[in-house]
Parts: sequence; C-alpha cells; structure tokens
Amino acid sequence: MIELTLQALFSGLLAGGYYATVAVGLALVFGAMRVINLAHGELVLLAAYIAYAAESRYGINPVMAIPIALVVVASASAIVYALLSRIEQDREINSLILTFGIGIIMTNGILTIWAADIHSTTNPWFQDSLVIADTLFAMNAEVAFFVGGLALMAGVYWWLNHSWQGRAVRALTSNRNAAMLMGVNPRQTEILSFMIAALLATFAGVAIYTGKTVFPSLGHVLTVKAFIITVLAGMGSIHGVLIGAIMIGVIESLTVTYLSASLQELAGMLLFLVVLFVSPSGLFGGRRALAR
Amino acid sequence: MKHAILGAALLAAYVGVPLLFGGTPYVMGLIVAALTIAGVALAWALLGNLGGMVSFGHAAFFGVGSYTSAVLSMKLGVPVFAALLLGGLGAAVASVAMLPALRLRGPYFALAILAYAHIFQILATEMTPITGGAGGLLSIPRFPTLFGLEFGGKTGGYVIILTIILLSAFVYDAVRRSAWGLALKAMHDTEIATRVIGVPSTHLKAAMLALSAFITGVVGAFNAHFISFLEPDYAFSSTWTVLPIAAAIFGGYRTVWGPVVGALAIYLLDQLVFKPILPHGHQMVLGVLLCAMILLSPGGLLPVLLRRRRSEGGRHAHA
Amino acid sequence: MTRTLAKLAATVATAALMVALGGPAAQAKDFLLGSELPLTGNLARVGQGMHEGIAVAIDMANKAQAGKHSFKVSTIDDETSPAKAVAAVEKLIGDGVVALTGGYGSNIIGPASEAAQKAGVVYITSGGVTPDLTGRGYKTFFRINNTDGYALAMIGLLQDMAAKKVSVVYLNKEATSNLAKQVKETLSAKGVAVTMHEFDGSTSDFKPLINKVKLQDRPDVVAMVGYENDYVGILRAAKVLKPDVKAMVGVWSLATSQMAKEFPDLMENVHGTSMLSFPVEFTQPEALEFAATYKKLFNKEPDYLGQFGYVQTRLLIDAILRADAAGTLAGGGLPDELRKTDAQTLIGRVTFDAKGDNPNFTHRMGQHQGGKVVLVWPKAFANGAMRFPATPW
Repeated sequence: MIELTLQALFSGLLAGGYYATVAVGLALVFGAMRVINLAHGELVLLAAYIAYAAESRYGINPVMAIPIALVVVASASAIVYALLSRIEQDREINSLILTFGIGIIMTNGILTIWAADIHSTTNPWFQDSLVIADTLFAMNAEVAFFVGGLALMAGVYWWLNHSWQGRAVRALTSNRNAAMLMGVNPRQTEILSFMIAALLATFAGVAIYTGKTVFPSLGHVLTVKAFIITVLAGMGSIHGVLIGAIMIGVIESLTVTYLSASLQELAGMLLFLVVLFVSPSGLFGGRRALAR
Repeated sequence: MKHAILGAALLAAYVGVPLLFGGTPYVMGLIVAALTIAGVALAWALLGNLGGMVSFGHAAFFGVGSYTSAVLSMKLGVPVFAALLLGGLGAAVASVAMLPALRLRGPYFALAILAYAHIFQILATEMTPITGGAGGLLSIPRFPTLFGLEFGGKTGGYVIILTIILLSAFVYDAVRRSAWGLALKAMHDTEIATRVIGVPSTHLKAAMLALSAFITGVVGAFNAHFISFLEPDYAFSSTWTVLPIAAAIFGGYRTVWGPVVGALAIYLLDQLVFKPILPHGHQMVLGVLLCAMILLSPGGLLPVLLRRRRSEGGRHAHA
Repeated sequence: MTRTLAKLAATVATAALMVALGGPAAQAKDFLLGSELPLTGNLARVGQGMHEGIAVAIDMANKAQAGKHSFKVSTIDDETSPAKAVAAVEKLIGDGVVALTGGYGSNIIGPASEAAQKAGVVYITSGGVTPDLTGRGYKTFFRINNTDGYALAMIGLLQDMAAKKVSVVYLNKEATSNLAKQVKETLSAKGVAVTMHEFDGSTSDFKPLINKVKLQDRPDVVAMVGYENDYVGILRAAKVLKPDVKAMVGVWSLATSQMAKEFPDLMENVHGTSMLSFPVEFTQPEALEFAATYKKLFNKEPDYLGQFGYVQTRLLIDAILRADAAGTLAGGGLPDELRKTDAQTLIGRVTFDAKGDNPNFTHRMGQHQGGKVVLVWPKAFANGAMRFPATPW
C-alpha cells in the first residue's frame, strides 16, 4: 500500500515536471506581453518532430537534436511575434484568435509533412528503467528531463530576478507604462521573452519525444494543459507554475491509483476549479484577477 | 426602406434558400451545419458583449443541451420540440453551477468554463445508464411532421434552426437596447461605479450567462435531433467552442449579425470551396484566413461590408 | 462468289453471335464507387491505411476487367466528424456512386450508414465493430469484421496459455470497452479471475496503473485493449516496473510491422491480433498480387488496415459485376447480390447474414519475435511456435 502511494507520488512529481516545462514558456509570454500564445503547444510539438526527424533520418541523439530544434522553433516564434506585434486594438482577444489560427496552420503543416503516425524515441537509454530502493520506478528519460527541466527553470528564475533583461520582463509585466518610463524597451524585452519561451518549448518538446509519444493532434492538448497550469499558478509566477504543475501531476496519479484511471482528467480539472474559487488570481498571482 | 429590406431578406431566407438548395441534401446539410455554428457564435458574442465575459467552453452548454433534450425525448417520451426548450433550460441550469466563476476575470473565467466543459464531458462518458456512456445515443427521435410540413428532413431542419437564430438575434437586440442593456454597457466600463448606484452587477452577469447558455443549449438540442446521434466526444467537442469564436471574430463580434455572417462564410467557404481544391490542406487555409482577418480587419467582415453604407455615426460603435 | 458469300455469312453469324452472347454485359461500363474516410483528424492514420487498400482493390479490378469495365473511387475526407461523414455520404450519393466503401469508427459509421440506408445505397465497411451497428438491421449495411472476432481470438489465446488470473486494461471508448467486457464475461464464466481497469484517452503515464496491477492484482497475463499510443504507454510502464506476468496481450493495431519497426525493444514477445504474419508469407496467387500491387502503388508492405480495405472493396466489386451481369444493378439488386457472397479472402471466409454481419470472422493472434510477426493462434494458421512465458523485459 505504501509502495503504491510512493510510486504514485513519484510518478506525479515527474509528470508535473513535464507539464511545468511545457507551461513555463506560455506563462512567460503571458506575463510579458499579456498575450496568450495558443500556438505554444504546437511549437513544443514542432521541436518534438524535429527531434524525430533528426533521429530517424540521421540517427542523431535527441539531446544533440536540441540545438537544431531550437533554431527551428526560435524562427517560428519570431514569426509569431512579428505577426502579433502588428495587432493594434483589442490585444487580448485578437492575439488569441491570431495565435489560434497559427496553431491550426502548424498542426496541419505537421500532419502534412509527417503524417498521423505516432512516434517516440528508439534510443534505448531513454527507455531503460531507473529504480530507487526497489520501490520507485521511472524511465531514464523522465528523470533526466525532470532534472534538466528543473535546472532550466531555475536558470530562467535566476535570470528573471537577477539580470537586467529579466527584471525588465518582470517590470513590463507589472506595469507597462512605468517600465517604459524607466527605460525598458518593450519590443526588445518582448522578443527576448519569446525567445526564452522558445528555448523552454524546445526542451519540453524533446522531453516529450523521449518520454512519451507524439502525434499531430497533441499540440492542442499541450496548449490547453499549459494554459490551465499558467492560470492555476497565477500571473507572472514561475515557481507557481512548477508547484501548480506538480500538484496536478500528483492529483492525477493518486486518482489513477486509488480511484479509477478513467477519472484522471476529471481530477485535474476539479483541482483547477477548486483552486480558482478559493484563490481567484491563482496560487501566487496577487489580487488582480477579480472582476473590476 | 429598412422594413422592405428586412422583408426581402426574410423571404429569401425562408423561401428562396429552400427553393434553391432543397433539392441537394448535401448543400442543405452544410447550410444547416453552418447555421448551427452561427447559433453558438451568436450566443458567445452575446456573453462577450453584454456580459463582458469571454468563454472558452461553450461546448459545455452545447453538450448539456444536446444530452438533456436527447435523453428526455428518448427515455421519457417528451415531444421533440418541447425537449428542445428543455435542453436549453438544462444548459441554463448548468450555468448556475458556474456561478462561482463569475467573480473571475478575463482569461481566468474563460478557462474555468473550459474546465467545466471537460468535466461535463467526462460525466457524460461515465454516466452510462443515462447517457449511453462512451457509445452515446443512436437513433435519437427526429423532428415530427406538423401541419403537413416534414420537419425531420433537411429543409425542415433548416427552417427550425433559422427560426432559432432569428429569435435569438431578436432577444439579443432587445436586451441590448433595453434599460438592462444600458446597465450592462455601463458595467463593462466600470463595475464599481455601477455597483455604487445600485446596479445588481452579479445578477445581471449571471442572467447573461444563463441566456447565452440557454441559446447554446437549444442549438445543441437541435443538432442532436437533426443528426439523430450523440456521443460525449462529439457533443462536447472543442469544435463547438472554437469554430463559433472564429466565426464571431471573423464576422465581427461586436454586431448582432456579424457572428452569423462569419459562421456562414467560414463554414461554407471551407467545405464548399477549399475542401474540394485541397482535400488534405483545407483546414490550413482556414488558419490562414483567420490570421489574415485579424491582421487586416480586426473588426471582422461585417464592418468592412457595412462601412460603405454607414450613414449614422457612432450608433454602431459599441455593442 | 461463293467465297465472298461464305465470308459474309461468317461475319453476319459472328456478329449475331456476339450480340446474342453480349447483350447488356458487353457494354463497357465505368463504375464509380464512393469512399468516406478519416483522412485528417484523430483517425487520420487509420483512414489512410484503409484508403490504400481500397485503391489496391480498384487497381486490381481494373487490370482484371481491362477492356470490359473500369472502376473508379471518389474519396471524401470525413475529418473524423460524424456530421461531415453524413455530408460526405450525401455528396457521394449525389454524385451518383454505385456503392460506398470505407468508414472508420463506430460512432462515425452509425450516422453515415444511416444516411446511406435512407438513400438505399450499399455501405460496406471494416471499421465499425460494435454490435449496435448491425443491431439496426439495415438492408444496405455490410461489414466484414466485428468485435466478436477480436474477442474470440484474444480469449482463445488466453485459454491456450491456461491463464488463471487476467488483468484487463482498457480504454474507455465504446469499441474498446465493449471488447473488454466481452472478454471478461467469457473468461469469468470459465472460472478465470478477471480484474478490469478502465483508463482515459488522455493518459500518457501508465506507471501508477501498471503498478496497481503489479502489486494488487498479480495476474498471469495482462490484456490491453486500446490504440497504438496506449499500447506504447502501457508497455513502457510495464518495462520499467517489470510486473511478474507471463505475457502481454493486446488486440488491434499492435502486432503490426509498423510497431515492430518503430518500437522494436518494446514489442518483443508481445501478442496482438493479426491476419497476416510479417514478413508476409503469401502463397496464394490473389494474395501475392495484392502484395505486389500494394508495393507498386505505395512502395510499402501491406498493413492490416489496407488488407481490410482491400477485402471489403473486392467483395463489393465482385457483387457489382454479378449484379450488373444479371441486370439487377440499376434496380437496387446490389444488397441481395452482396448477401449471396461466399468467398475465401485474405481474412478467411466471408459471408453476410441478414443483418450484414460476417459471422465467420475470427481474427488470429500474432506475436512479435525478433522484429517479425509470427502467427501463433489458432494452431491451424500458426506459422511458428509461441514463446511463452515471455515478455519484453
């Protein structure tokens, strides 16, 4: 019984790590630009497919494929940003539709280029098991990317708090006009946040490729998950994203273990609603989410 | 002059279209599908404009309305037209469950509704004795034949959904112009001030949510009886959320008829023009169209079309 | 003079003979078939596979009937949506197709075949296995496979393995849960202890679930009922957790060359339903031609979806030709003609009962062995020895 719970917690933790790496990029852009990039999930998926192409065609190890995928995803992100910055009025809702349209284009593009088959890494190291104390089991891929993801997120957190650029992003998030008055160039800062988001998305995409399976319609699923976790965490909070993601991961695996696996999704959604009702601006979001 | 145009439009819609397309069930079916999307788009725009709330989960109301109506007519023998209204009522009741979400702002509210949609979908999948579970419901009763008119057929269905949309647009417009509409507009601008002068903002918002849910529920119920088939993935599919939003934006969501025009344009263009040309890539074209519309004319299609004929100044500026 | 007269007589006689023998069948006809399939959306991969099989059948028919008749197929994507499937069927019927072949997913085939039934047009499919579909008793609905066939194969294998305890892990969609429940009922009646675990399609980490199976159920065999990404998830979790089981058995989409190629480490010793072994060892002339045409048109080995698409279309074409020769085609005689079918095909014997079902359908079980798929059940069709107990770890 204890073993069952421990494994559930462990699996939930690792799952949360995956969710967090996918969500942080979205959260960053949301905070910096007040823009919800509904194509974020597709960017993650794109990275995964580049890793697949690299491995299946040239036998490149997925980790080595990260720089290649990064170039592609960063370029795609740049295009998304260029289009977004041309919106003048009603930014929030128009950017939603624009990125949604871009998401459709990308999903169908991926479907056209790579067809609908499922793919995952064939590299055996990633699939080998890691056993701790004969009770906790995981795939190497999951643990490796969890640790890597944590490191990456720690890096982003440090950058946000201790570098000038990072603090500029945070300044923009809290008060755009004041930030501009203090000398923050909004355009540069926004592009930077998009690029950091691209880095995170690339990492998440390769992580998913090695640990799970990818297929074209996954993009939409990822976006929704990322969005939910972002809102759950509260605006502008990176550590909130990690904690929220792990909460969801753990609740899901506990539900699978003790109730029924078919209620997994339900549990996550209920948790999301409960948190929102108790704390309307998310876990760490300050008081700005209540209706004016 | 305006009445004449209105009369002609009504004539064309109720008589002209069936005459022209009644013989090709394929095209008629497409028009009905486009109008179904239009109905939801209208309800979504209503919520956004009058209630000030953007929702990402209208599929929740669509699905609840569909299942309520289907189950009532199949298990309790309720006549189909009555079941339609009860379906809408069921969706409105479901919106009551969403009351706690009303105090959330912007994207928080939008996502909360999305979570509800997922939850309802899972409930529909698991409550097998009532909803037929994952297999869904087959052979849902179709519309009966009344006054010699066969409402179960394609043209009959068209007439029904057309009437639903007209009635909904009428109600939408009526609320907009009424005292309540004024109050809602004021609320839009600053809720605190309106609260101070005694406008029951939360009640109004709840009422708008219920109205939007009711309309969406009726449209969902219509679809269930028209297609005669229902299952959780289909009833709560994100298509019922996403396409109406795209249609509303495309057509111009600040106007009453924009969403309807947008739905017809997007759906019919996609299925009749793009799909035959690009059997594999036509959804992509939809994406390109959406992007182009947002970048070039964010107000949507309708304002562009109406711009030439605009005589009054600011009357159409706000919802 | 006599010579010329003789020649003339001969020519006239031959002409008369041709007219007498030919009659309506001598007119070369173009038959247009309609196909409604998911080419985009969630079921895109399946639709594509079926589409290939149908194309092969058309190609082979055109070759066999060259100079006499020709066949064409018009395909419309139903985008994995019931409403669009109905629209596709209506459009195809409006375009004047003789019959419809295709469709995947019981929830999509239901409404689509209903639209065909209303227009009196035959709809034949291999993608709708649930009992509900034939339960409607439509005269125009035909299918060459059903849930029973899959369940019988899985149950047969489990019985051969003498499994005393089985854990069934199944997806909560209709086709998969029907199959799982049927397996449970049959096995329980035979005294086998069966535990059921239902999961949701969004599950990507199966470790908590498999851990439950490993620590609480402790079965002899794990039976999996789902789709490709579910199998991969379950097998990965099992490979990590290493439960003490004797075999991993699945159903459709598992014992395929595709899976062997994409996930070789994961598939070793896993069982799934499979009509053909891989590499395919075709011996019959029809099968050989099928494989060759498949290779020519699509440059790949035939997969099981293509097989089914091919068989259903081939039977349809045969019936069309028979009905045409008998002159009943135009008068709606195709359903009756199709019901007279009794043929040996790539998937075994096919006949159609009054409800349109193929009661002969029993699948076979294959096992992944070293990158190949070996048929191991039933014994009559086995072309290799079953490795048991054996798991991928």
